[in-house]
Amino acid sequence: MKTEMDFEDLMEEAYQLPNGPAKLGFLEEAARVADVNGMVEEAYEARSEIVDAATFCGYPMKALIAFSWQLGKFDQQPELYDEETLLWSYKWILGKMPDFPEISRDKIMELLEDFGARFKSYGYSERSYWYYRFRIFMDFGELEESGRSYDKFRTLDRDFMSDCEACEQDEIMRYFLLKGDDEKVLEVAQPILKGRMSCAEIPHLTLSEILMPLYRLGRTAEADKHQTKGYRLIKGQNDFVQSFAEQMDYLTRTNPAKGIDILEETLMLAADHEDAYAKMMYYAKAAPLLRRWAEEKESEGYRMRLPASFSYEGDPGDLLKLADYFAEHAQTVAAKFDQRNGNRHVSSLIE
Amino acid sequence: MTASNEYRFQVNLSGMIQILSNHLYSSPKVFLRELMQNATDAITARKEVEPGYQGEARIELTGTGDQLTMMVEDNGVGLTEADIHEFLAMIGQSSKRGQQALLDGETSFIGRFGIGLLSCFMVSHEIVMLTQSIKGGPSMEWRGKPDGTYTIRQLDTQLSPGTKVYLRCTPDAAHYFETEYVKEALFYYGALLPYPVTLIHDGVQSVVNQDSPIWLTRPELARSCRAEVLAFGERLLGEKFQDFITLTTASGRTGGIAYVLPHAVNLNAKRSHRVYLKRMLISEKAENILPEWAFFVKCLIWTDELQPTASREHFYENEKLEEVRSELGDVLRMGLADMAENQIERLQKLIRLHALSMKALAVQDQAFYAMIHRWLPFETTRGHRELGELIDEGDTLYYTGSIDEYRQIHHVASAQSMLVVNAGYIYDKELMAMLPVILNNVQTERIEPDEVSMTFTDVAPAERNQYYDALRLADSALQRFRCRAEVKGFKPSDLPVLFTLSQESSTLRALEKASEESTDLFSSVLGSLSAGINSAGYSTLYLNVNNPIIKRVLTSPDNQMTPIAIEMLYVNALMMGHYAMNKQELEVLNQGIVRFIDWGLRANMNHEGDA
Repeated sequence: MKTEMDFEDLMEEAYQLPNGPAKLGFLEEAARVADVNGMVEEAYEARSEIVDAATFCGYPMKALIAFSWQLGKFDQQPELYDEETLLWSYKWILGKMPDFPEISRDKIMELLEDFGARFKSYGYSERSYWYYRFRIFMDFGELEESGRSYDKFRTLDRDFMSDCEACEQDEIMRYFLLKGDDEKVLEVAQPILKGRMSCAEIPHLTLSEILMPLYRLGRTAEADKHQTKGYRLIKGQNDFVQSFAEQMDYLTRTNPAKGIDILEETLMLAADHEDAYAKMMYYAKAAPLLRRWAEEKESEGYRMRLPASFSYEGDPGDLLKLADYFAEHAQTVAAKFDQRNGNRHVSSLIE
Repeated sequence: MTASNEYRFQVNLSGMIQILSNHLYSSPKVFLRELMQNATDAITARKEVEPGYQGEARIELTGTGDQLTMMVEDNGVGLTEADIHEFLAMIGQSSKRGQQALLDGETSFIGRFGIGLLSCFMVSHEIVMLTQSIKGGPSMEWRGKPDGTYTIRQLDTQLSPGTKVYLRCTPDAAHYFETEYVKEALFYYGALLPYPVTLIHDGVQSVVNQDSPIWLTRPELARSCRAEVLAFGERLLGEKFQDFITLTTASGRTGGIAYVLPHAVNLNAKRSHRVYLKRMLISEKAENILPEWAFFVKCLIWTDELQPTASREHFYENEKLEEVRSELGDVLRMGLADMAENQIERLQKLIRLHALSMKALAVQDQAFYAMIHRWLPFETTRGHRELGELIDEGDTLYYTGSIDEYRQIHHVASAQSMLVVNAGYIYDKELMAMLPVILNNVQTERIEPDEVSMTFTDVAPAERNQYYDALRLADSALQRFRCRAEVKGFKPSDLPVLFTLSQESSTLRALEKASEESTDLFSSVLGSLSAGINSAGYSTLYLNVNNPIIKRVLTSPDNQMTPIAIEMLYVNALMMGHYAMNKQELEVLNQGIVRFIDWGLRANMNHEGDA
């Protein structure tokens, strides 16, 4: 049994695992052991790791909780901890905030200002602040304000606290995607597609994002290639639930049978996801895929293979009912986002 | 008349060498591989013109100390003066296009020749190359120095076609010139070369690649010479293997041997496979040639269809590589499938050692999962068991979604001999969820800690009624901790209470704890989040009627005493479960202890007073 392990053992177990629920389990246990024994610096260390692991495997809430604790401790005794690592995590946290519909627009703006002030106080470039402002307004669906931040952040110098070029490029691409400028999307994607910019998450994200623009431009041969490659890169990783949604969106139109395969393979990852936005997107794209699949001859008598953890009680052979189930979930969540944002931006994305 | 010209590279050569040694090559020792590669390319080129031509490479070590010299000779195509100028120009271009161009560039045979030759500056202050092209023309000498100067000269005498490279070792690099080292390195890089590589030292000649085995290029023959295959693997890969799977792609242009590692491997371990390109060792740590899940094997792979990076130590991540990788993955999986059908013991042994790899693959591939599921190990309330045994034991398999949940319930579950799988480890949850998909007659069900209560004995209504007052007192005492009390009977009876947290209430506890410690801004953000989960987030404290103390607390409720006893049982349960307590709970603990001491002393005094 692993119940009686001490802090070091737990951390060591955790370090040996890739990001995922198992690693988080060990880290949370380590944080708990440290808390119970009053080991504050160890508790801080464990939470740093939780923020890192949880951010990249679908548990933004766990990341936020651990980060909040860290920030409180840091403010009490800043000399004890490394501000660089902490403020780098702050970027992840800030980036995920808009994905929680419960958090108000005002609170998110307050967080952005707090973030900016902290970066400023350590003498980092303002670029990060404006870049995140650009992203947050995209999330709110306020593209004009986002555009202003976009113009601003590009004039500011990068520093070592800036997001990597590949990530920035991907966000810029998203901006043009939201503006509906498909040609521009593909232009911005070029350095990524050519392999000149990459990181741990790029081109993974990009390859799914450009599928619909390519489709709309009638370039499906290219899109098919990116689809295959993109799916291979993200397969089995719940950090990419939104990418699965984009893949399904495209395949609904071009190859619903393949889309259904992806739905079955990834549903388990999506159903468990803490990121309300990503999960909504996934459910929103699963619905039309199922409806489209139901029109196919091959789908006759087809029963969806649902994972044991999926909370749908109905008949897995009734594809249209199942589609309604997905659609209803997505609409309910989208309405929450709309209410928070004060517009219909999110609903319009899933229509 | 000897034509001699002094030239200067149109590049900063010392800067280039810096780039080569710091960024391109992983170690100076690769100079030998580069020279062998150049020789091999030259021989291959000659064979194209003269089919059936027998190539050969000779390496000779002479002198000692600072006179220690290595000569590498091949009988390939050789270079003309124009070729030499071309490779020099190529180097110039690469450097003008910047470091990245050099690292990424696709270059011609001649260009690669030049870049490969430069690697020798990592071990030698002077490179002398004598060459004679099969195209005729005068024999040429090229002498280069790391400061960027070089000379090209036509020789008076005519050499036989081929190229000789002389290196005089720098003091730092002396160990790369030792006979034993050179011999091993030559075998290491050139074990598969299809022509003899001869090492000459002190008048002794030996062919280093004499025992290049046929089965390596024709893997279908490997099974029949098992012992030889294992021994060869041990010599080249440095581990004592017991099993292997042969690899060949449909095109026949990539193949090899996948040796099963004789020890368990960490999931994050570097996958390092040894790969030969056109029979020359290209990489001993090719990470990208097999799929991620294949971390249970170390491979010798040969290929002639992939494109090496400039350093010739890795392959370009391109579509071809992707194709080859997925095909090799399929072949490996088929090898395992074949074992599952024909040699089950071999597979069982493999799974025991490499369960993680097998689980990773099973998650991705349902057909594979169906094939091997019986032998996958899981941790359960009945110890470590194989899935096959678990399936045979009952209709429904219960599993927890996290280690944390398992921890909460395993005492009670095992006391009641309830079978629960701890699916908190990597891949296990997914495998449990997928099991009904691959097997029609098996059900799995994820169990939350608060559902364990279904195996508790219910208390008869009449008896429950008896506890009504005590339960109300308990509920109101626990309300402020968002916990409720429930009466059940369960084993073991010396466990007075059991505390269970649902996922939501666990999240809420963590939210509160963080909120207490954080800044005002973050506390209020956490507050908005907890508002969303509040309603579902009750935890449960089960009071065990089989426990004598609990029975007494329940049967004689006392407005003053019962709430405090319940609170104390609650905080005690938290401590036993290693939960971090919030401020309120710590206060309860402190006050409770003091009160109980006070009561104890008072009871004692009253007692004495009575006497």
